[in-house]
Amino acid sequence: MIFDFLEAFNDQMLLLILIVLGVAFSAGGIPPIIERNRRRSIENQLPGLLEALSDAVGAGRGIQEAMLEQGRNTPGVLGKLLTETLESSHSSSFDAALSAFASKTRSSQVQRVTVLIETAIEQDAPLQGILSDLSMDYERLNDLMNKRESELQGRGILIIIFVCIGLPVLIAFIVGLFAPANKGYQIGDFNQTFALFFAASSAIASLVSGRMLGRMKDFLWWLPFWMAVSMGLYLGAVKMIGG
Amino acid sequence: MRKLEEKREILYVIRTMDVLMSSGVGLEAAIHTIGTGGYGIISKDFSTVMEKLRSGKSKGLEKEIKVLMSKSESEGYRRLLNTMYNNLTQNTDLIETLRKQGKRMEEDRNEDVNKYIEDLSGVPETLLSIGMIGPIILAIIGLIPQLMSGDLGAFMKLPPASTIQSVVNVGLIATLFGMIMIGLKAHTKDPGL
Repeated sequence: MIFDFLEAFNDQMLLLILIVLGVAFSAGGIPPIIERNRRRSIENQLPGLLEALSDAVGAGRGIQEAMLEQGRNTPGVLGKLLTETLESSHSSSFDAALSAFASKTRSSQVQRVTVLIETAIEQDAPLQGILSDLSMDYERLNDLMNKRESELQGRGILIIIFVCIGLPVLIAFIVGLFAPANKGYQIGDFNQTFALFFAASSAIASLVSGRMLGRMKDFLWWLPFWMAVSMGLYLGAVKMIGG
Repeated sequence: MRKLEEKREILYVIRTMDVLMSSGVGLEAAIHTIGTGGYGIISKDFSTVMEKLRSGKSKGLEKEIKVLMSKSESEGYRRLLNTMYNNLTQNTDLIETLRKQGKRMEEDRNEDVNKYIEDLSGVPETLLSIGMIGPIILAIIGLIPQLMSGDLGAFMKLPPASTIQSVVNVGLIATLFGMIMIGLKAHTKDPGL
């Protein structure tokens, strides 16, 4: 069935290439989504952890002890990573453990916080106040990032759905109904032009959508997929309706 | 691009400098710490300054900060450099100013994000208006030679099919260009979170 479907587009070399690339690149596009979800879950937990650390340090605990305790009490990836790193750091220094923890999270927020904590410890700065300030800073930053995500995600999806799916199907209906190929209309060149246009407009729509959400590079993986979808939908619908 | 990177990093740099200098670190040592990395373009700038100072080619930290001020593109970074310059030349209270700047910059960032969300609220509608209405009209224009062939075409004195095809092609390219221009708004107004 798949081969029959592909056979129908034998004269559309670009579409066939885009289908193959789209499938391959989509596989590459999934890991960034998983990684981002993981990173954001860590970053959203960070202010809570910092606040708890600030309280513990204020109550007279050492930072290492407080971190180990909070790591055990914090659910999710952040707590797990923190506990694992600190427990496996018996043979190395606390600084090395902190750096290992920061690099394992792969989050720039955690890495910055870790560097600041290390510097504060080195300089013998008041940790309670610094941790409390950092907690509030990162809470506000995460609130902003979450707000941007929630407000713009719907609009981004709307653009992709309309331009990559809605528009090709709509034009295919117009062409298929008013100039069906099975009634002798010569629309080969017309279809070719519009198929290319839909591929290009889908690429633009998907890039704009990605840029709105601040992750255009991740969206690049899905570019061939959306291009293939819009071209395929247009050519498939024209064939289905107009014969 | 530089402006966006500066805007993205500046608040973290201010916070770090605040922590460092509150705990007794000097300005030069703070610049050195930030220059070791982690703060993007600002780390690069500070590391270049430290390299010049170390090599003995520089006329002093004040002059280097002046050079950075002329290189900086964002308002926040320029203000930070100016504060550092004032501290070096007039011995002003840097920590207090850093705290005030941090607070103000955070407010600016909140405003920028809200403005960005507000500005982009019209982008989908505009993009869809141009991206959908344009091709629909052009598709109908492109089909005219097919739909009005024979006697009707001769009666209407339609231009040759190749001319209509060229008009459609130009129209489609213009539509793509319009979509890119609307999309650029999402890039140029990014608050840099």
